[in-house]
Amino acid sequence: MPDRVAVRMAGYQRGATVQLIVDGRTIAAHDGEMLAAALMAAGLWRLRTSPRNGTGRGAFCLMGVCQECAIFVDGRLQQACSVEVRDGMHLELRGAP
Amino acid sequence: MTTTFDLIVVGGGINGASVALFCARAGMRVALIERDQICRGASGVNAGTLTLQMTRVALIPYALEAHAMWANAPEWLGHDVGVVVCDGLSLAFTEGEEELLTYRAARRREAGAPIEIITGTEAQGIEPGLGASVRVAGWCPIDGFANAYLTGLAYRRALVEAGVALLERTIARGVDETEPFVVNTDRGPIRGRRLVIAGGVWIEPMLAWLGVTLPIKVLINQLSVTERVAPVMRTQVGIASGLLSLKQYPHGTVVIGGGWQGWGNRETGRSGIVPDSIIDNVRLACHAIPALAEARLARSWTGFEAETADVLPAVGPVPGIPEAYVCGSIHSGYTSAPYIAKLLAQCILGQEPERLLFPIDRLILQPASAATVS
Amino acid sequence: MVVETDLVVVGAGPAGTSAALAAANAGLGVILIDEAREAGGQVYRAPARTLKASTKTRDRDAVVGVRLRAALDRSSVRFERGLRVWSIGERFRTDTAGPEGVRTFKAPRLIAAGGAFERTVPFPGWTLPGVMGLAAATILLKSEAMLPGRRVVIAGCGPLLAAVAAKVSGGGGDVAAVIDMASRRQWASVMLQLATRFNLLREGAGWVLGLARRRVPIHFASTIRRIDEADGLLSVEIGPVDGKGRARPGRSSLINDVDAVAVGHGLVPGVEITRLAGAAHTYDRLRGGWVPVLDAMGRTTIEGLYAAGDGCGIRGALSAATAGTLAGLAAAGDAGALDPDTLASKSEPQLKEAARLDRFSAAVSDLLALRPGQVADIAPDTVVCRCEDVRRADIDAAIADGAADVNQLKHFTRCGMGPCQGRMCGDVVGELVALHAGSREAAGAWTPRPPLRPVPLADLIGSYSYNDMPIPKPVPL
Ligand SMILES: Cc1cc2nc3c(=O)[nH]c(=O)nc-3n(C[C@H](O)[C@H](O)[C@H](O)COP(=O)(O)OP(=O)(O)OC[C@H]3O[C@@H](n4cnc5c(N)ncnc54)[C@H](O)[C@@H]3O)c2cc1C
Ligand SMILES: Cc1cc2nc3c(=O)[nH]c(=O)nc-3n(C[C@H](O)[C@H](O)[C@H](O)COP(=O)(O)OP(=O)(O)OC[C@H]3O[C@@H](n4cnc5c(N)ncnc54)[C@H](O)[C@@H]3O)c2cc1C
Ligand code: FES
Repeated sequence: MPDRVAVRMAGYQRGATVQLIVDGRTIAAHDGEMLAAALMAAGLWRLRTSPRNGTGRGAFCLMGVCQECAIFVDGRLQQACSVEVRDGMHLELRGAP
Repeated sequence: MTTTFDLIVVGGGINGASVALFCARAGMRVALIERDQICRGASGVNAGTLTLQMTRVALIPYALEAHAMWANAPEWLGHDVGVVVCDGLSLAFTEGEEELLTYRAARRREAGAPIEIITGTEAQGIEPGLGASVRVAGWCPIDGFANAYLTGLAYRRALVEAGVALLERTIARGVDETEPFVVNTDRGPIRGRRLVIAGGVWIEPMLAWLGVTLPIKVLINQLSVTERVAPVMRTQVGIASGLLSLKQYPHGTVVIGGGWQGWGNRETGRSGIVPDSIIDNVRLACHAIPALAEARLARSWTGFEAETADVLPAVGPVPGIPEAYVCGSIHSGYTSAPYIAKLLAQCILGQEPERLLFPIDRLILQPASAATVS
Repeated sequence: MVVETDLVVVGAGPAGTSAALAAANAGLGVILIDEAREAGGQVYRAPARTLKASTKTRDRDAVVGVRLRAALDRSSVRFERGLRVWSIGERFRTDTAGPEGVRTFKAPRLIAAGGAFERTVPFPGWTLPGVMGLAAATILLKSEAMLPGRRVVIAGCGPLLAAVAAKVSGGGGDVAAVIDMASRRQWASVMLQLATRFNLLREGAGWVLGLARRRVPIHFASTIRRIDEADGLLSVEIGPVDGKGRARPGRSSLINDVDAVAVGHGLVPGVEITRLAGAAHTYDRLRGGWVPVLDAMGRTTIEGLYAAGDGCGIRGALSAATAGTLAGLAAAGDAGALDPDTLASKSEPQLKEAARLDRFSAAVSDLLALRPGQVADIAPDTVVCRCEDVRRADIDAAIADGAADVNQLKHFTRCGMGPCQGRMCGDVVGELVALHAGSREAAGAWTPRPPLRPVPLADLIGSYSYNDMPIPKPVPL
């Protein structure tokens, strides 16, 4: 399957490279990045499952409104578009039941 | 409108809608006047708790009948209001609460509610989501909840099928005449041989149209709902004082209530939450079901609930005015309304109600006088 | 504990920041609250904390943002960052929640400056991961210096289309296509009006020329018909539309192997605070939807409550700043910190500027306004309410069942009951109900309730002891 990812533009200095644990798997990101963006850059587009149809959903608005990016960050449900990446964060894409 | 209806019902909450439905099914031509839309006031925004452990002792026999009706709503109503029948637990965390709970459970048991006192460990067996600090619990297998926001849809369909003339978005402004009744509305006069006042907290101003003074205390109940979360509980949970009601709907949201008070004004119809009391209500909920703390609050809202001086219903004929009736102010009124409204319908239809009504003579400040009706 | 002050300003975008500065300069104690860590709002959003451009290629907006934040730092305004306002109460209690728990502020005056939400009119496939708002793409590009994908489709309407396309393509991405609902002719007439603001015209022209140079295909008078997922990539079907946004019969074409789609159909004013406070509102299609009724200074119909910025109607960042300054001055004047003459003389140039900007922004607003035909065209199976998976067909069925306004529809279908509380779908749902109810006024608007954004219960409850809780007396037996 082709690698569908968001791409960090060249010509910028970014925070230190850090590691996040997503459902047990390790991905790399930069300290201080928006978590939702870091997940897109790692090819993790699907953040939750819609409640009735069970279809995958991903971050849509990136401005705190749509709630499609709500995931468990260190055990607490948070909007990935309003959380900064920190080293060693544990993320769970449990989605909605 | 030149038609003279057999019955005019003012107020399309659960009480008015139920009376209208039963009378129409018995063959009456019924008009239902509702300022807004059917069951959009208290009857559409309440917590839907169908518990006996918060019901007043005097109402237990009625609530038992009503619970059975709710459990079979698709049969008699014809439509679903998402009723879930499940175990109910009323919790005691402190010694004082244990005392209160034990006493109250015994009184309710005498009145027919099958409530048993069980240990905290036993309660956790029934509700694995409970926190560790429960001392004892009242357990009742007859409990459950409805999805109150579906009430309007279900009743609307049933009323239409029963041929009730639904006058929604129609404001009743007074009663001009009583023989027959002429209800003055913003869309013109509505005529009928009989009249039921079922305006929720507004039964006080409505009864004043008939010259009857029946003081109603206005409660502003707050509720909160979480977004959908993975299952955290399977029962309906309350506490001894009655200040918590908690349940998780099959779709995953958790509704948190218990009669915590917001602010509001019956005259303007505006109401809103009091943040500190939302926070305390939520603390109580998380104390009972700790996993709830993981959820997010999606919405908090308020609704108007009526209370009479003795906290018992105002259901029966209006003294001094033949063929005028009132139906409202029933404590845990969502639970009991279909049954109590059925009793009033029996009375209106000239039958002997199968149980006693709650005549309002005891609540009226000045004796009613037909002469005051202009 | 409740922190009291003279003025609370909610939202630290251009409107709120300007308002706070104007009021503070006039001597009021001001608390400015935003859920973001830095002031700037959507347009002047600060880059991620750790992001630095290697070369000095900052765009104009970035420079303005830096200036705005510097001015705020130098001022006496108390900026409360990272706090989510969840409730606004009487005279004006403002409850916030954040990871450190709840905090409460109170002031006799409040300026609502919460900005706008983006509107996306649903089509099949708009819920697929990798499809995002146009505003979202802007945020990725500006704050994170990130392209939404290697190969991107950009669709919708308004000037943001060209801006995003230029950024993606300038940043090394492949813009597979720009799909614009507006026709060439509509653009030409807007350009004519924009010509009064030369620098903006130049900026816009720069984007368009850049796209032409890179041979980015631009489809005018077109829209996305549907998006499908194929072999892990997105496939976008487009087709022609008329001026009302209705599909025109005609060829549709496919754009394959797309990583990401950015699509937005304009902005909707965020009016929850003014609605929660009970202020009067009116429907204004040109300005994006429901807007509070305001006087020229930004006073709502509720004493002590002011509003400014896109939350009062879509007019753009320059207008927002001017409106903010005016509201800040009005609050200071009404509080007695400015005498009437000073208030009038300070307001006059701002009022003139506001009127000038208003004329200009109307041209852009027209491009961004909701096209009714586009909503009428939503297919029955298309999900409208993302949170609750409510489809157009479910909404139509509820209307047939008697749902006469949006709040009744909500009870019938759960549409708007999910975690976003109808903020994403509200405008489109209002339009769908209006198709039957006759007007947006008759269709109504969601009843606003707290919280203004979902709040984790853990944040609300903090740490507490059961025995210390003030429990009201038991209900009667
Ligand atoms: C069991 C249950 C579960 C729920 N779950 C969710 C959920 O998951 N997500 C969610 O978002 N919501 C949920 N809700 C909430 C629900 O949809 C509404 O938020 C709730 O009905 C409150 O309505 P409202 O007042 O906010 O708005 P509306 O429904 O619009 O009600 C407005 C109210 O104001 C009253 N009113 C207006 N003008 C006047 C006047 N002049 N005089 C008197 N009264 C007036 C109307 O009668 C009406 O009751 C749930 C509700 C229930 C009962
Ligand atoms: C937040 C809340 C939670 C609750 N939780 C529970 C619970 O969990 N379990 C339980 O059993 N009970 C509960 N209750 C109580 C229960 O909801 C009420 O007892 C019951 O719904 C009352 O029904 P009603 O028909 O008497 O009044 P309402 O539902 O208030 O209906 C009265 C109707 O009259 C209409 N009206 C008023 N004036 C006019 C006019 N001039 N012209 C035309 N129409 C008019 C109103 O619009 C309204 O629709 C709760 C109540 C609230 C507010
Ligand atoms: S992406 Fe919409 S809330 Fe985060």
